[in-house]
Amino acid sequence: MQHEIKAKPDFACLTLSMDRGDQVVCESGAMVGMTTGLELETNMKGGLGGALKRALGGESLFMNTYTASENGQRLDLAPATPGDIEHLVLRGNTVLVQSGSYMASSTGVEVDAKWAGARGFFGGEGLFMLRCGGDGDLWISSYGAIHSVDVQGSYIVDTGHIVAFQDSLTYNVKSIGGLKSLLFSSEGLVCEFSGSGRLWLQTRGSMSLVTFLHPFRSVQPQKHA
Amino acid sequence: MHIEIQHAPAYAIAIAHLDAGESVVAEGGAMVSMDSHMKLNTSAGGEGDGVLGGLMKGLKRMVAGESFFQNRFVAEGAAGHITFAPTLQGDIAVHELSQSTLIIQSSSFLCSGTGIELDAKWGGARSFFGGEGLIMLKATGTGPVAFNSFGGIKEIQVDGDFVVDTGHIVAFEDSLQFNVTSFGSSGGFNLKSFFLGGEGLVCHFEGSGRLWMQTRNTQGFGKLIGRQLPPRKS
Repeated sequence: MQHEIKAKPDFACLTLSMDRGDQVVCESGAMVGMTTGLELETNMKGGLGGALKRALGGESLFMNTYTASENGQRLDLAPATPGDIEHLVLRGNTVLVQSGSYMASSTGVEVDAKWAGARGFFGGEGLFMLRCGGDGDLWISSYGAIHSVDVQGSYIVDTGHIVAFQDSLTYNVKSIGGLKSLLFSSEGLVCEFSGSGRLWLQTRGSMSLVTFLHPFRSVQPQKHA
Repeated sequence: MHIEIQHAPAYAIAIAHLDAGESVVAEGGAMVSMDSHMKLNTSAGGEGDGVLGGLMKGLKRMVAGESFFQNRFVAEGAAGHITFAPTLQGDIAVHELSQSTLIIQSSSFLCSGTGIELDAKWGGARSFFGGEGLIMLKATGTGPVAFNSFGGIKEIQVDGDFVVDTGHIVAFEDSLQFNVTSFGSSGGFNLKSFFLGGEGLVCHFEGSGRLWMQTRNTQGFGKLIGRQLPPRKS
């Protein structure tokens, strides 16, 4: 299976070239276009329990598997938001992906939901992350561009900007600065990563867009008794 | 301090590289990521301002639609970097001030070096009628200042006269004189154009200096999407 990502970083689209027997799993709704020699199967990956955990993680209950029944097939996939796609190769290592940023993976990659802890990532995202491990290709998507950072030691990231990180990194959610900063800095909670490994950030946060648009909504007339 | 821009133009971020002990002042909520030895200090005034001086600066910023408190990040003990991003899609430009002044549309300010004094500037009473808040920050001193646009940034060298829609102004050098007027008023006020032309208020610049415009207007975007969203409760 060959892949190509075009229109990076603003409106990235993934094109897969597939031969007979090639398989790819993707989030439901990601298909943009395809040739007709591909078969689609929709299932709850990881059984009902895994699917429910994924649903709590902000992902769809169902995942789609596309299998090429002939050679020379093409499948185009895109995420819902404007933004970037990054290709990650897994070789027995594990990457934790912010729910919502998972887009597609080859069949050698296992996707499981992981409880991120009660203090989790409050950056407008869920309390679950997706644990992607195994051998194969993984494609993640973002709102905005994807910016990668190689961490050595410790590094701080705003929770709303985390896309994914290698599980060789440990993390701790905290606030930065003193009490005055917590109350007045508008910086909210951050995630402090420690260890050595790569992490991927998105250069915009979808919650900022929502916050910006909110005042432009009309006001519902008050109902009088 | 050196400010580097990546992922331009649609989803640009600014990476500020600081020497040990250096600090950077940034818009609240703009921090994306940073080395863990960067320390955040939130205060109303700058270094060396007393309590009263800080209070006055904070109040003036509030009038300009900015927050009362300012975030200052210090690289404690070692060099380091910090990444900032604006709220919406768009580009970032960096301008090096050298004992000079730049006027910035208040929502376009992203970050600046500590050698730069930030002060609210009154846009003039007429500017408030535009609903586009031509409320500005005056950045004076020496060092880099980064500002962001909604959409792309277009830099124009003005020599003589130039007219910009108030919703598209990002920043300009203070060597330019400006005057907010209704569109078409230079040839006599045109009532029909003002109400039906959809152009509202414009800023008339005169003199010689650089000007930065944004290729999209946040108010236009907000109104378009906002009216298609379900009503809010309050």
